[in-house]
Amino acid sequence: MTEPRQQQGSELSEAEAIERAKQGDAEAFRALYEKHKRRVYSLCLRMTANTAEAEDLAQEAFLQLYRKIATFRGESAFSTWLHRLSVNVVLMHLRKKSLPVVSLEETVQGTEEDSPKRDFGADDVALAGSIDRMQLQRAVESLPPGYRMIFVLHDIEGYEHNEIAKIAGCSIGNSKSQLHKARMKLRDLLKMNRAEKAGKSRAG
Amino acid sequence: MNCVELQQSLAEVEDGGSSEQKAHLRTCPACSALLKELNLIVAAASQLQEANEPSPRVWNSIEFALRQEGLIRPPRAGRSLVPSFSTRWGAARWLVPAAAMLLLALGIYLRREALPDQVEHQARVAVAVGNPPDLDDADLMQEVADNDPAMKTQYAENLRQVNESIRDAQGLVDESPNDEDARRSLMDAYQQKSMLFKMAMDRSLP
Repeated sequence: MTEPRQQQGSELSEAEAIERAKQGDAEAFRALYEKHKRRVYSLCLRMTANTAEAEDLAQEAFLQLYRKIATFRGESAFSTWLHRLSVNVVLMHLRKKSLPVVSLEETVQGTEEDSPKRDFGADDVALAGSIDRMQLQRAVESLPPGYRMIFVLHDIEGYEHNEIAKIAGCSIGNSKSQLHKARMKLRDLLKMNRAEKAGKSRAG
Repeated sequence: MNCVELQQSLAEVEDGGSSEQKAHLRTCPACSALLKELNLIVAAASQLQEANEPSPRVWNSIEFALRQEGLIRPPRAGRSLVPSFSTRWGAARWLVPAAAMLLLALGIYLRREALPDQVEHQARVAVAVGNPPDLDDADLMQEVADNDPAMKTQYAENLRQVNESIRDAQGLVDESPNDEDARRSLMDAYQQKSMLFKMAMDRSLP
C-alpha cells in the first residue's frame, strides 16, 4: 500500500509500543490496538457488511499481528503491515464463504439484479452538496461483494489498482472496471435514497 | 466521443482529463454532472475509513487469547492488577463474589511480596479463598445462554480450560507454597477467569 491518507501519529510512541509488545507487555498490545482499532474494524465492516463478522475478523487480524510482531523489523510502516494483514484476513474469510471476491461477469456486463431500480424519478435528483456519511455507508453495504471490495480498497483505503490486482488476483483493467461500476451503482443508490426521501417529505 | 463512450472511458481515465473526454464534457451538461457526482462520492469515501468503533468484546477476546497463548507476560511482582478490571464489574450480581475473591487473593499476593516470612500461611489462605465454584459458573453459562446462545459451547470449553488451570495451579501452590511461579500461575488463572466473565457481560450489554 502506498500510504495514502496515512494517519499522522506519534511514530516514536508507536515504535516504543511495538518494542514493548515484542517483550509481551500487555499495555503495549492495548496501545497498538487502541491506535488502529477503528481503521481495522471499519475495513472489516465495510467489506463484510456484517457487524458480528467484522468483529471476529478484526479480532483475528490483531491476533495474527501480535503473533507475528516479533518478526516486524520496521522495513515498512507498521500500519501498512497491519492493514495488508487485515485485508488478507477478510479475503480469506470471503473465499471460505465462497463469496465472489471479484466477479469477471460483473466487469463485462452488469446483471439485471445489480441494476438499481429507477423508481421515484431518481434520475431527476442531483447529488449536489455533500454526501451524508450514514447514507454512503448504507449504500456501500448494498453493493455486491465484488464491487464493494474494490471500492473499499481503492476509494476508502487508498490502495492502487496494481495493488488491488495483486491482492484480489485479478487484472488491473478488471479492478478499474469494477471500481467504475461500483461508483456508478453507488450514485444510483444515493439518488434513489434522496428521491425516496423527497417523495416522503412531499407526501408528509 | 458520445455519452456512452465517455462513461466507458471513465473507468480508465477517472478524472475526465483526456482531451477527448474534455471535448465531450464541454458540450454535455449531463456527463459533466455525472462526473461531478462521481467525484463527490470519491471525496466522501474517505469519511468511512475510521468511521466505526468495535465493541469492547473485541479487545476482551484478544486479551483473553493473548493470555491463553502466553503472548502477554504475567505482571511483574508487586505490580497492581486492579487497573485491568473494568469499572463495570460491580454492575452484575454474579460479578460481586468474583471481584471480592480476586481482590482478596490480590491482597494476599501483594502482602506476600512485602513479607516473605509469612509465605506458608498466606498461601494456605489463598488456596482456601480460591475455590472455583465461588465464581458461580452456572450463572455465567446462564448469562451466555440467554444473551448469546451461539457462543455457549465456546464459553463452556473456555470455562472448563480455565477451571482446569486454576486446579493445576492450586495443586502446585499446595505442594510448594514458597514457589513464586506457582502463585503467579494461580493469579493468572484467576485473571483469565475474570476476563471470561467480563466478556460474557460485554456480550450481554445492549
